[in-house]
Amino acid sequence: MTAPVLTKMTKVEVVVSGSDAPAVRELIQSIGATGYTSLSGVSGLGHHGYHQGRLLFNQQAALELIITVVPQPRIEALLAGLRPLLDASSGVMFVTETFVSRPDYFS
Amino acid sequence: MTADIESRRAQLRSDVSLAGRLLPTHYPLETFIAVNPLAGLEGMPFEQATRRAGDLYGMRGTLREFDFREFHRAGRITDGDLDRALMRRYPNLSDAPEVVLGDRSMSRLELLRADLMYGTTTPEPKRSYRTRSETQAPAIIEAVDTQTAKWCAAFFGGASWPMPGRENGFYAAWRALAPADRKVPRAARAELRRAAVCAEDAVLDALSKLGVDDDARIAYLQAHLTRMPGWAAHVQWSAGRNAGIDLLDYLAMRLTYESALLAHHRGSLPAGRSEELTGIPSARQRATHLIEVLGLADVSDSEISAAARVLTAVPVPAREMLWQNAFEANCRDDLLSRLASPDMPVAVDEVHTHLVSCIDTRSEGLRRHLESLDGYQTLGFAGFFAVAIRFTDLLGGPPSDLCPVLISPSHEVREVTDPDMSDAAARQVAGLRGLAGAESAFHSAKESLAAPFTLAEAAGWVAAPLFAAKTLAPATTAGARRRLLGAVAPAAPTMLDLDAMPLDDRVLFAQVALTTMGLTYGFGRLVVLCGHGSTAENNPYQASLDCGACGGQQGGPNARTAVAVFNQPAVRDRLRDLGIDIPADTCFVAAQHDTATDRVVLLDTHLVPATHLGDISRLSRDLTYAGSALAAERCAVLPGTPRALSQGRAVRHVRTRADDWAQVYPEWGLVGNAAFIVAPRDVTRGIDLQRRAFLHSYEADIDQDGSALETILTAPLVVAQWINCQYYFSTVAPEVFGAGTKTIHNVVGRVGVIAGHTGDLRLGLPWQSVSDGEKLLHEPMRLLAAVQAPLDRIDTICDRNPILQRLFGNDWVTVAAREHPREQWQRWSRTGWRPWTESLSGATIHPEEIVQ
Repeated sequence: MTAPVLTKMTKVEVVVSGSDAPAVRELIQSIGATGYTSLSGVSGLGHHGYHQGRLLFNQQAALELIITVVPQPRIEALLAGLRPLLDASSGVMFVTETFVSRPDYFS
Repeated sequence: MTADIESRRAQLRSDVSLAGRLLPTHYPLETFIAVNPLAGLEGMPFEQATRRAGDLYGMRGTLREFDFREFHRAGRITDGDLDRALMRRYPNLSDAPEVVLGDRSMSRLELLRADLMYGTTTPEPKRSYRTRSETQAPAIIEAVDTQTAKWCAAFFGGASWPMPGRENGFYAAWRALAPADRKVPRAARAELRRAAVCAEDAVLDALSKLGVDDDARIAYLQAHLTRMPGWAAHVQWSAGRNAGIDLLDYLAMRLTYESALLAHHRGSLPAGRSEELTGIPSARQRATHLIEVLGLADVSDSEISAAARVLTAVPVPAREMLWQNAFEANCRDDLLSRLASPDMPVAVDEVHTHLVSCIDTRSEGLRRHLESLDGYQTLGFAGFFAVAIRFTDLLGGPPSDLCPVLISPSHEVREVTDPDMSDAAARQVAGLRGLAGAESAFHSAKESLAAPFTLAEAAGWVAAPLFAAKTLAPATTAGARRRLLGAVAPAAPTMLDLDAMPLDDRVLFAQVALTTMGLTYGFGRLVVLCGHGSTAENNPYQASLDCGACGGQQGGPNARTAVAVFNQPAVRDRLRDLGIDIPADTCFVAAQHDTATDRVVLLDTHLVPATHLGDISRLSRDLTYAGSALAAERCAVLPGTPRALSQGRAVRHVRTRADDWAQVYPEWGLVGNAAFIVAPRDVTRGIDLQRRAFLHSYEADIDQDGSALETILTAPLVVAQWINCQYYFSTVAPEVFGAGTKTIHNVVGRVGVIAGHTGDLRLGLPWQSVSDGEKLLHEPMRLLAAVQAPLDRIDTICDRNPILQRLFGNDWVTVAAREHPREQWQRWSRTGWRPWTESLSGATIHPEEIVQ
């Protein structure tokens, strides 16, 4: 039995307010990423203090975590697009190496 | 190289997103929702945001000084209000030495007040974000605007002849068609033919040709977006809804036109900005003007200079905001002083019926009149009653999302036939479909190319008299139509299918609704959940009169859904485990208030048990009384109403207006809205708030963890603030954020209206929604949130919700709070709570404005 072959990719995680999330999702799609995972209503503590998580009747004011995985050739364009968006809002971005077993899903 | 262009495209996309943030959200007519048109600027203090908006749109941020001075003459603003507004902004004014002008000595406060009342008025704001062609060749930007209006109307209009290639998306369709447009000069057409295949590249090319640097790009894009904010806002709304258009496509078209037309422009091109803002008098000119107005003699040069130094502290553009603050303070002080104090009697009736209505300001009148009768206690709650549903009615057409736009619907609810009445329901469905089909065929024929000629021959003999009757006798015609409807499609009892809503969700929603409104014990025999809607004729803006909490639609289905849940034994059993014991003899009932006629209709009465039919009869009778009393009250302020009508005639008059297809004032909607009160009903009961306050019930004692208050402040308050700002800016800046007069509106597809036959899509409310044509009916004031709750609870909620920090901290909403009626109202500020009456509380002192 052989270990599965893993392919190196880049994972980008972005936390922004719900109202800014559509712009991030649109950007991810526009640079050719094949998908993303979105988690709404996340809470946390940061530069702007504690941020409440899920609000009962307001999804736009809550924070959203958006995760995408892209191959190396796409990362530069994605970061180039994300930087101005995050410079203008209170969101954060984490970029890490990651490995996937089915690279065709991501490119 | 490929990676580089991909990065540039991605950066451009982000810049377009950022530029588009300042645009208001524009919902289509069918789901018109009130919004704050300056929501994108809420990160700034209100005053700064309105100045920025002035730069962007050339719009006003407040009423004119002339209007405020009229209010002052009418006593709506007093000298004391002005002095307190000045003192709040310039706290050291009272300690400063007096100013001597000739034989008269004045305090600095008096001098500044005189400047407010008599000073030369503020010049109108002008756009300072301008495109190349706007500054260099105005005819070209006019041409770009004309093309924009033409192609947007073609794409969105839903005309009988759809835009060729529309299915390929806006940019591709435009790129294929535009070069053949003979109204564009030949040389420019050649440029259009060379437009890039992809919209990103077209924008980058055009910006390069126009000489716009990357650093200036966002501002330049904003200059284009704010030229026609209506179409731009609708394009932004459409993006992400698979409409085939986004802001990038829209800007690609505009910028390509601009660069193509400018490249072949033969006129002279003046460099840079052609003009700057002028017309603001110097401080010395202001002082001299005041000396003349006040009739002061023997004023020396040094005295004029001293007065000028004082006036320098209040720049002319800041004066309007001082007036605004004084105007609001007058209204707020009066309201807070009227809200119940411990020595005021509070009704302690034996409650047989609770009526829960929407927080909408129009509900206040209905509640007041109903509570004048024995045994009624009313509450306020968001009109979707906490059930966010996607509703499909009996006809089975496209479902409607009935919930605030802040959230997505959680459950599908269908209207189904009552098993015992399936034949009647089938007859109703067949009748309604037949009528809808006939109406659809008539309108289709009317809008196609040749059919109108045939239609006139075939249907003119019946249509002409019908239209004449609708005009001359609207009430009679509407009555006949209702009778026809009743005959062809008699109403059949129906039910709602809630199977898609799990029991846990039903229990959760029921618990949240009851604890948030503070009704967890002492239930009456009837608990009425009363939604609302409006039934005016021939009004493209009808959705603006429906329930904002239900996505700009009527709230009846939400009330029916909530009632069905509350009446389920399984839900009540689980609520009992949670400490909420709804007695077995309490029956929930749904109703809908028609705010145009003030008729209240009880819904699903066939589901009411026989034991409660007597209660229903009494309720129906009392609602008729309350509705009639409210209609008569409203009649007095509707334009064109004959004077001194009896109550009966006033009610008939109000209801006839709703049936009149030529009536541009069917009702006043939420005109006058100024406050959002979060408190037990005891605080407001018995007070005539003149339909100016949103009323949300809240009992702090049963919300120890503050979750109910957090829900109220982060959702209903936010929606109320949108409504408040929509009315505010439709009033102070009607050219940009108002829809103009209804009399020249043309509806474009389902997206909105334009004034006349071309131009920008109009934003905001029609002029007839805020004015009677001669004078303003809406007094534009920012929202006051008056909250009865522990102050530290409000602080905790505010600390963890940036949206509240923005609204409160940037003066979009003012918060007054007290924990108990025994205590004085406190004002929220970034630096802590201060007594409401303290002039210096929370003063914002800008260094350059401190009086020397």
